[in-house]
Amino acid sequence: MNKNYLFLTLLMLLLAVGTFFITKEEGYKNEIKPEALLREITQPSRYVTTDQVAKMIIEKDPTLELIDVRSADEYNKFQLPDAVNVPLKDILTEEGQDNLGIEDMNAVFYSNDDILADQAWVISKRLGYNNIYVLKGGLNCWIETIIRPVEPSETTSQTEFEQYKFRKAAGMYFTGASEITDSNGNGTKKPKVKVRRKKKEKAASGGC
Amino acid sequence: MHVHERNPKRTLITIILFALVIVFGWITMKKPLFKYALTPQQTVDMVISHEGCFHPYELVKAIDDKSGEVVLIDIRNSFDYAKGHIPNSMNITASNLLEKKNIDQLDNWKKNNVRVVFYHDDQLQANGTWMLFRQIGYSNTFVLLGGYSNYVLHKDNLQEAKGKTCLKGTPRYDFAEVAKKSGAAVMDEGAKPKKKIKVRRKKKEKAASGGC
Repeated sequence: MNKNYLFLTLLMLLLAVGTFFITKEEGYKNEIKPEALLREITQPSRYVTTDQVAKMIIEKDPTLELIDVRSADEYNKFQLPDAVNVPLKDILTEEGQDNLGIEDMNAVFYSNDDILADQAWVISKRLGYNNIYVLKGGLNCWIETIIRPVEPSETTSQTEFEQYKFRKAAGMYFTGASEITDSNGNGTKKPKVKVRRKKKEKAASGGC
Repeated sequence: MHVHERNPKRTLITIILFALVIVFGWITMKKPLFKYALTPQQTVDMVISHEGCFHPYELVKAIDDKSGEVVLIDIRNSFDYAKGHIPNSMNITASNLLEKKNIDQLDNWKKNNVRVVFYHDDQLQANGTWMLFRQIGYSNTFVLLGGYSNYVLHKDNLQEAKGKTCLKGTPRYDFAEVAKKSGAAVMDEGAKPKKKIKVRRKKKEKAASGGC
């Protein structure tokens, strides 16, 4: 009988030791499954337009965090206001990770266009980060829509004119132009940027 | 009288029951269908090396190719596919790619070293799908640079447009120059060359809180 107890005790100990070897799951604790990642990838909800970002910057939205995934060189030459530089190759370093998981912040990745930013997004999403977005069109689109907006033709809809007006004003906000010349040739001093509240379903309009 | 003496096989029965429970648990344990073959760091390296890019000029061969060395997969929905697609391509919508029959198909291609090229309207929309498949071990997958829209633009001169068709990722402007130009008096927001970035450390143990 004593032998039985001894045997059982040893068995339990052996199994207990065994658990040390199974729970060793290497890597990141919030990593999501490949199936879930594909579901996220096929959603276009991660894209934000240059208009949305411009508006957030002008409104000084405290939850906006711009992340520049280009190289440090490119970042030093030009960056969006208050952007943080996390080159794609350094995204997994401690410094890069610190910039991602800030609570209650909406992190927007941007690059020259959107591929690099999207790649950073996929990797971050896999690691389980939420509230991360991609600037659709990237800086190329930023220049084309915000800094150098194209005046719509006269037949276009009212909303497009509104959008153009917003972009024009936003462009001046960002470039610091001191005066605007409207179609009548009247110069006006530093206009106040009026942020047009966007209707929700308009979000995708006018992108690159 | 001691309890054990009533049933001398008691210990044996306990051990067998115990073993059964463990074996049962082992068998019914949910095994993940897909596993990451690349670690995040390997993924970053893979992306940076541009090894998974399929250039538009390579399409010339792929379109005429009957040997099956390259498979073009249109991951748009069937409606867009019906409206127009690259010749010699097949349609599997991105969200259906992980279905059993498609995975079997992909496994088969992988075994035979067939290059699988994903494309969408824009390279951007195929990028994620391609990255996912690379990450779960399909090292034979590629993404069509420029996507379908670029193909449509250059379809008559894919070969000549060799260098030009890979425009993604490159700046089209000298951003610093363009941003400066229009402004004579520069507002302080845009002018500060480098702002000191304050990094708030995230709280480390947030994930575990509030569990059961």
